[in-house]
Amino acid sequence: MASLLAETRAIAAKDLLLEFRSRTAFLSALVFTALVLAIFNFARDPTAVSATDLAPSVLWITFSFAGVLGLNRAFSLEKENRAIDGLLLSPASRTALYLGKTVANLVFVGAVEAIALPLFALFFNVPLLDVLGPLVLVIALATVGFVAVGTLMSSMAVNTKFGEMLLLVLVLPFLITPVSTAAEMTAKLFAHRPFAEWAPWLKLLGAYDITFVVLCTLVFEFTLEE
Amino acid sequence: MTATQSAERALKRGGILMAVGLFLVAGVYVRALLFTPEEATQGLAQKIFYIHAPSAWVALYLAYGVVGIFSVLYLFLKDPRLDLLASSSAEVGTVFTTVVLITGPIWGKTIWGAWWTWDARLTATLFLYFVYLAYLVLRSAVDEPGRRARYSAVLGILGALLVPFIHMTVYLFRTLHPMPVVLQPGRPRVPGPMLVTILYAFFAFTVFYFGLLARRYAWARLKAERAQREADGGDASR
Amino acid sequence: MPPANGGFMVAAYVAAAVIYLAYTAWLYWRSRDR
Repeated sequence: MASLLAETRAIAAKDLLLEFRSRTAFLSALVFTALVLAIFNFARDPTAVSATDLAPSVLWITFSFAGVLGLNRAFSLEKENRAIDGLLLSPASRTALYLGKTVANLVFVGAVEAIALPLFALFFNVPLLDVLGPLVLVIALATVGFVAVGTLMSSMAVNTKFGEMLLLVLVLPFLITPVSTAAEMTAKLFAHRPFAEWAPWLKLLGAYDITFVVLCTLVFEFTLEE
Repeated sequence: MTATQSAERALKRGGILMAVGLFLVAGVYVRALLFTPEEATQGLAQKIFYIHAPSAWVALYLAYGVVGIFSVLYLFLKDPRLDLLASSSAEVGTVFTTVVLITGPIWGKTIWGAWWTWDARLTATLFLYFVYLAYLVLRSAVDEPGRRARYSAVLGILGALLVPFIHMTVYLFRTLHPMPVVLQPGRPRVPGPMLVTILYAFFAFTVFYFGLLARRYAWARLKAERAQREADGGDASR
Repeated sequence: MPPANGGFMVAAYVAAAVIYLAYTAWLYWRSRDR
């Protein structure tokens, strides 16, 4: 178990180190976020639609795209460096390989979300602070669910003819549960609804995360070459 | 008997089962349109049910169930025929799902007044459709049979586990989320002759599915045999 | 008096028939070519 953690950390660190040397992907995710926020703000009629009604959807559209950009970035890194061959020769176990990559992707997407969220609060004038704790929990859980599946799909898409476009097609059906439950919970949080009202969604998202993290970890080895 | 001959026999048998299934489905058309009474409050459009519901059963449960189960079996047993069966079921299932997604909104328009209302079952079907399509696109993106089989199996399993979550997500939205009050066609009470029709329809479409599956699978096996022969540099004895 | 929606029924029945027949025919003929 201890070696699994150590291997996971090493792989995650390697991935993240590569990212810091090429910050373009991170930058594109942020620019995209600002663009989405600006468009939604200018496109709506403030007398007809209140910011609070739109806010949860806008937030989650932004986070979804940031997430997909993050997965694409991880994918391109692998392709460019043919890093996967080096990793397979290493003594790290397959599980550590999967977990390490997932953690690295989580950190990347999480970083984008951490910057997007205050930007979003600014542009949309939504009071976040009093629900910040639960909101961060919701964001974290949804991101885990999304990134876990995305990392697995990424490792398959990289070995196919269609590459990144295939990644999007593969991941999209699996976004529905995390993103829609998170958006619903976000809406309830912004409206300061009691916990009992959004608890069922939280349970569903939690169940989804556990199921798919475990499942993806188990089947990851089948996406690697012998 | 060589593997090729066996596959050719299977192809013929599949063709027969397919024809039988098609004939039975034609029987559904005849029975539903000519020998089943019109429903009192919903009008003739209610008869769409006799096509829509059995197609949904095949698409969502039967066809995708086969995909899921044989995906798991393939990962454990590595027999390429298991992969061929799963992918055949995926292709046939996609056809049935297409019919569900076309007949559903048409029927919905008459019941709800709108082509699409994010109804629980139709929405779940739509997202399963995305999984089916992803499965087919994935297969077309990989040329090497071994890798194609492995990747398809991975997606097949993940998709199978996704289905209950989609159902639960949509269920939560329906029960907890304020939605426009609509008439639910759901499961209409089915008196006498209608019950016979719908039961017969389920039977007919199930046979039709197996016929299509058998033919598709036999064809897949034949193609795999041929590819194997070419890879081996041609086989003189047939 | 039930609503007059026979047109929808026809549309749905025809659409389903076209799809199923088209796929069956395609499958039958393509698989014969080997």
